[in-house]
Amino acid sequence: MGQFDSVLRNEQTRRRFLQSMAAVGGMGVLAACRKDVQSADPGGSSSAAIPPITQETGELRIHEWAGYEAKWLWRDYAKEGFPEPDFTFLTNTEGVIAKTAGGYYWDMTHPEIGYIQDYVDLGAIQPWDTSLIPNFSKLNPMLQETGQLNGEQYEIVLDWGYSGVIIRTDEVDPSINSYSYLFDDALEGHIAWFDTPWILSMAHVTLGLESDPLDATPEDLKAAKEYAIEKKKNLHSIWVDYTQMWDDVSQGNVWAAYSWPDTYVVLKEDVPVQYIKPKEGVFTWAEGLVLRSETENYHHAHAYADAWADVEVAQRLVTTWGYGHANVDLDLSQIDPDVVDVFGLDDIEGSLSSGIFDAYQPQRAEYNRAWDEVKAAPS
Amino acid sequence: MATDTTTDAPPEARVDIEAPPRRRKRGSWRATSGLLATPMIWLIVFFVAPVVMVGLYSVGALTLLRLDDYLSLEHWQFFLASDTYLGLFWKSVRMSLGVSITAVLLAYPVAYLLALIAGTRKYTLLLVIIVPFLTSYLLRVLAWRVILNPQGVFQSFLRSIDVLGPEQQLDWMYNSTFAIYLVLSYVWVPFVALPIFVSLESLDHHMLEASSDLGASRLRTFWTVTLPLSLPGVAAGFIFVFIPTIGEYVTPQLVGGPDGFMFGSAITSAFTAGLDWQFGSAMAMFLIFAVAVLLAVFGRFLNVRSVAE
Repeated sequence: MGQFDSVLRNEQTRRRFLQSMAAVGGMGVLAACRKDVQSADPGGSSSAAIPPITQETGELRIHEWAGYEAKWLWRDYAKEGFPEPDFTFLTNTEGVIAKTAGGYYWDMTHPEIGYIQDYVDLGAIQPWDTSLIPNFSKLNPMLQETGQLNGEQYEIVLDWGYSGVIIRTDEVDPSINSYSYLFDDALEGHIAWFDTPWILSMAHVTLGLESDPLDATPEDLKAAKEYAIEKKKNLHSIWVDYTQMWDDVSQGNVWAAYSWPDTYVVLKEDVPVQYIKPKEGVFTWAEGLVLRSETENYHHAHAYADAWADVEVAQRLVTTWGYGHANVDLDLSQIDPDVVDVFGLDDIEGSLSSGIFDAYQPQRAEYNRAWDEVKAAPS
Repeated sequence: MATDTTTDAPPEARVDIEAPPRRRKRGSWRATSGLLATPMIWLIVFFVAPVVMVGLYSVGALTLLRLDDYLSLEHWQFFLASDTYLGLFWKSVRMSLGVSITAVLLAYPVAYLLALIAGTRKYTLLLVIIVPFLTSYLLRVLAWRVILNPQGVFQSFLRSIDVLGPEQQLDWMYNSTFAIYLVLSYVWVPFVALPIFVSLESLDHHMLEASSDLGASRLRTFWTVTLPLSLPGVAAGFIFVFIPTIGEYVTPQLVGGPDGFMFGSAITSAFTAGLDWQFGSAMAMFLIFAVAVLLAVFGRFLNVRSVAE
């Protein structure tokens, strides 16, 4: 088996092996569809080989989150008269990585920064040429640093937010200010978790464990898992549909829920809620655009990213959706003071540096299995 | 003017008509092969090949990311030694059995009514039963959330007639195992009713008359004649539900609350959030084996094949 193993480790012979397998029993049809993106050069295409914008088709294919196809997000791109991009929609980044490994094509997609390494490992993305994005200089450098790998800008980081806790202030004491809301016995039957292994990381910081909450030691991961299993009895639900969670908080079924700041923006007028950025440090995510290695619309893609980076887009994104934007030229006087306060927009760098930032998780499978154990445990 | 094409036909055509049996057999074989080719290719491409590929993923002969280990039984070993995942498998089997039995119990009276009582209106009534199922599966499940949740239609109605107090709610009704069983049974009842209906409709009515003539009550006729003769339809309906629901994860996720995590959910989770295709494939292959074994057992003891006869 060792010999076979070494044969399969060699890309060339492995491909031949796959081809012969594909010839058996009609597998060829499926195998032929499998584009071997793994053999692509992670460094991407060299700028010398890039044709000028006039020779590009301009038919951008963008794999986006539903809602992010809204025209106001790429208004300046549209104004240039470029063809309207062809949007396809994703539900989670892991699914995009899997589809990409299977040969699915897009010019740009919108992953969280924790997945950049996966795309680079697949050879699926190339670094941006930031000199082709005039608005890049207006983007928060601290956020842009999180989009870099090996000194290259693989992601233009555009939007960001927190994974904190929304609480009903008529039922819960805001002064506790901790992720412990999500595990509190006093809130039995009124807690909602999101379906994510980050709950383990939140259990980790609640317990005050010492290792990195996103890359814990096996002992700490076990302790966090057991704590989450013990506290599962306090749950009302594990949500996958955020609008359902909004309803549950709004109707008073849920008093404390894992949530993003948009929940606060949506509910604050009608329900006594407060968005908690816990004292342990709030988990912070960021995401943006990555560029396909084989794109034939290199310049169009840069123009599109530039449109997204514009300050007017930033203003509207923060005001209407309650997500952060990387553009630092925001006019804070035009934004709801509550939102400014929740995001810490008057001191973005201070807010970001006090949180626990999303990062590549080398133990993703281990975390996922531990999370499965939590979900499989009886409540 | 009509012409006798047999006698007026040229010699070569006559030879064709009177072709020896061997040649006719070859033509028949070609026709059979031609007819079989499309479904065979379909099955090979969309069933056999994907299953083979999942099997290859499960042992690492194919991998998603290049950092994955190649050729290893590690994931099978982990799965077979894991109380969590095997526990989930048995939880799904229990749920599937419960839902299948409930669906059969609910569907039998419906099928009986249609086949033996409704008379000429049976196909109209059958259509009425099937019509709601022309809408999206997801919409029907989401509609149950509107009905079952504490502020939903059912519990609000109970409050309005003072069966429930203003602050009271039925916690077992929503985000619960009960909700999973209820919604899945609802979803699958028509699929069970159809084979039972076919089975009851093809009953020889003389048997029922003979039973009555010999003095058996209607209840005794049902227990000793109707039910045994309709069992193949019951078995087929049971299997129609059991096999798909054993891997079910969408409905439990939508209405099952914190306990809605099933074996199918674990497979999905490994393929998506975990990016752990080796482990997900090992679980998927185990499910395929388990279903195949259960099918063989059902086929052996319940004689499902007779439904088609």
